[in-house]
Amino acid sequence: MITLLDVSSPIIAFVSFSLLTIPAVKIIRKRKSGKTVWELCWFLTIFIIAGITVANLALKYYVEPSTQPFLNLSLTEGPSAIFSSMFLVDAISVYMSTIFTGVGAVVAVYTLFSISSDERLSERYYAVMLMIIGYVIGTTFAGDFLTLFIFWEATAVGSSFLMLYQKTARSLHATLKYLVMIIIASAFIIYGLSVIYALTGTLNFWEVKHALTVITDKHLLETAFVFMAAGYSIEAAIVPFHMWLPDAYTAAPASSSAFLSALVDQASYYVLLRVLIYILTPPTVLPWTFMFAVLSALTMIVGNLLALTEKSVKRLITYICIADVGYNLVAITSVTPLGIVGNLYFFLAGGITTALAFMVVGIFNSMGLKNLEDFSGLGKKMPLTSLALTLASFSFIGIPAFAGFMAKYLVFTSAIEANMSWLAVIGVLTSIIQAAYLLRLINYMYARQPKEEGWKKEPKKLLIPIFILAVIIVILGIYPSIVLNLIEPVTWQLQFMP
Amino acid sequence: MQNTLLLTIILPAAAVPFVYFMGKKSFKSAAFLIAFICLINIALFSTTVPIILNGTEHKYVESYYWIPVLHASFTLFVDGISLSMAIITLILILTVALFSINYMQEKKGLAEYYALLTLLSIGLIGVFITSNLMLFYFCWELMLLPSYFIIGGWGYKEPYMAAFKFFIFTHAGAVFVLLGIGAIFMVTGDLDMFQAQTALMTANPELVKWILLSLTAGFAVKMAAVPVHMWLPDAHSEAPAPMSALLSGVIISAGAYAILRVSLGTVFPAVMTTDFGNMFLHGLTVFGIISAFFGSLIALVETDIKRIIAYSSIAHMGYVLFGLSLFPFQEPVTGTVLHLVNHAVSKGLFFLSAGAVMKQLEIRDIREMGGLAGKMPITATVSTTAALSIAGIPPFACFISEFLIFVGAFQTISTDNFYLIPTALMLIATVLSLAYALRFQSHVFLGETKHEKIADPPFYMKLAMIILAMLTVALGVWPTFFIQLISSVSFV
Repeated sequence: MITLLDVSSPIIAFVSFSLLTIPAVKIIRKRKSGKTVWELCWFLTIFIIAGITVANLALKYYVEPSTQPFLNLSLTEGPSAIFSSMFLVDAISVYMSTIFTGVGAVVAVYTLFSISSDERLSERYYAVMLMIIGYVIGTTFAGDFLTLFIFWEATAVGSSFLMLYQKTARSLHATLKYLVMIIIASAFIIYGLSVIYALTGTLNFWEVKHALTVITDKHLLETAFVFMAAGYSIEAAIVPFHMWLPDAYTAAPASSSAFLSALVDQASYYVLLRVLIYILTPPTVLPWTFMFAVLSALTMIVGNLLALTEKSVKRLITYICIADVGYNLVAITSVTPLGIVGNLYFFLAGGITTALAFMVVGIFNSMGLKNLEDFSGLGKKMPLTSLALTLASFSFIGIPAFAGFMAKYLVFTSAIEANMSWLAVIGVLTSIIQAAYLLRLINYMYARQPKEEGWKKEPKKLLIPIFILAVIIVILGIYPSIVLNLIEPVTWQLQFMP
Repeated sequence: MQNTLLLTIILPAAAVPFVYFMGKKSFKSAAFLIAFICLINIALFSTTVPIILNGTEHKYVESYYWIPVLHASFTLFVDGISLSMAIITLILILTVALFSINYMQEKKGLAEYYALLTLLSIGLIGVFITSNLMLFYFCWELMLLPSYFIIGGWGYKEPYMAAFKFFIFTHAGAVFVLLGIGAIFMVTGDLDMFQAQTALMTANPELVKWILLSLTAGFAVKMAAVPVHMWLPDAHSEAPAPMSALLSGVIISAGAYAILRVSLGTVFPAVMTTDFGNMFLHGLTVFGIISAFFGSLIALVETDIKRIIAYSSIAHMGYVLFGLSLFPFQEPVTGTVLHLVNHAVSKGLFFLSAGAVMKQLEIRDIREMGGLAGKMPITATVSTTAALSIAGIPPFACFISEFLIFVGAFQTISTDNFYLIPTALMLIATVLSLAYALRFQSHVFLGETKHEKIADPPFYMKLAMIILAMLTVALGVWPTFFIQLISSVSFV
């Protein structure tokens, strides 16, 4: 039996450890030697403890998944329960919290090696990062709109500290842009929520859903939907609300870009998925699929075309992040079990691939190599690091035997299943554009002669987290059943929807 | 043995790191390791021959757990067609590995080269021996990645540009294949070629039509049929000669094999009796004729030694398309697959001999060559064998298969008048192929000697070429084995 404590313990673990991290790192820093080792031990302890709490939850959930696919846990009992904060446990939230913890651990190791603890304020950086992992997991377990809103906005605000870390004029500017967009988005969402509350008298997911399916006058609902969809679209960086993302991710240090793209970005798609498909408006209530199909096509086209013209490699990868939103949306709009499986797989595959790309580009950026031209001949100078970027590129393009392929296959197939083959065709055509600009990158790395002579040393420590992710990408590519079997219960959960 | 086919995939996969680390020490041992694995694989494959020839179903299947959520199992199977293609692929990889010992010896990074070659062999064998469309696509793209790096890393002129073109074109084709596979999965709920074939019979014919077109267009890119041939001349001529041999010999044949197996074998029966089915076959004929003439005519005027052979590949894929358009009659299908086999050997040999000439002379323009027959007698002999086979002269390999295709065509004319003119045109195209083959030979090997101090290439290059030359003659004189194998498969 899953209790409230089981659900909240990962969140509590991450948040409380995040508060402990500041004094802990300060104490470690007073030591004369072995600082990195001690810090590594500290972080590993945190992730092992948090991992145990998540694993405990997952095991308890998977013991009897068939009898209770959706689990609602309320803070208070009795008739007032529908007004209280709710937690929701289903296959999706268990899966998402597992991958957030796992990928978070790998990114944390990278962060530890790339942002040296001697830097000022680095301990706060670590603390904020841990706290965001807690919030993101909270988002996945939220069972009502208010809880979702609180955890999700806390994530968004926390992310701005990660972007701001370098405190240059550019990062200030980008963070400001991000915050303004987020505030507008939350205003939209709050407005939409208030209308929903007025219509249904509750914010609990299930109560709202039942109330909405019987509603007859849909004018107010349409208004509420538009506001909420716009709000969540801004946060997920769907074209035409995407402008903040390239600036923010480019200005952030490499470790934050990796972290944001792997966790926060994926969580934003998750929120969109949850709100659109599961709770707010199954297409039977409002015909929203076509609108989002158009947005998805736009996002894929614009994201990839912007990337095609981009010279700065880090910015190029931020545009791939935008294109990935488009591919995710394809699956969301299909509203099929296969699409949801594709989405969930994409969260993992897309997340680790972008994280890997940002990590590698971060290494090159720290050497002063920023543009495509600067990457000339790196394949010969730093073979291992370049190999990792090449693997990430092939995963982005969607070549089989890399994780990205199965993600794209599921997504496009679900579009065909939903009778939206045109979207699948746009998807594969934009994939070809993606192949073009990523091959250009590979071309620069392997075909061109290096600008300067001399060998560059490969950062051995940083290669550890990088190659962990690279190996995961290849394993998931060859044998995706590991993950697909986990998320398969979702395929029949969708039938529970009215 | 129970896991014969799985072993043929796992052996090269497990060998990749060994090849790499042995290649670091001595590239010769890496090449021998590849050759050795190819020999083992040929032996493994030949154990299935009796099952295919004498069994009731004429095929041998193995199935393993893979991705149950997508109904994708790791299904490996061989029937006569698969087996012929797989064996000829292995022979070609073996000779290419031997040829590379001398051909590539001055190049850098040979450990990577041989490791990539091993990877490529997994993809090449896998494409021919799987019946699961998902696994098929995996192997299909696994042919692409190593080839990209081999062309780019060890090619001539601006190799990465040629490789880029190759990658983008074939990948663009591949995504349409993927769309088709996804649609098949959606319509039938199955990814197995043979299960899907029966399930598609009851599907919406309008949808089947699009699946067929999307798949065939995608495969045609790999096959380099006109008008999607643009990647081929660059990729084939800029690649190192061993890679050109594989590209022209096997990789484009994989495109033809895929059209036969997936487009025609799996999807086409659902629309065979409709008007669209007829139109589709006639369309293949037209593209075949265009490819044959286009390739032959350009090969007649081209002066670059490897580009001539590259364009001749386009021409030959034209014959293959023509043969495929006679589907599902037994003779033309047998002839077409036999032509793929014979063309692989002959064209591989042709490219290797051209590579030998280039290696010794270090020029590529055939107008600057001449009189090499006296200086390089062995190269001249094998090159002439290849050229005559390509031109369709008996008793060399390609004659038999072209003959079979034409026999099939004449049979088809009696039921479908449409094929009368195409068959006549195709006969003219074979004359053109004789013309460019003779022009090539006379420019390169006959006439006055312009180069002194030229000799035959080193031992392993000679050995590889002689093996293929003997095979070309043997297949021409005694094609029975492959004909028996291939004709055991029936599509109707």
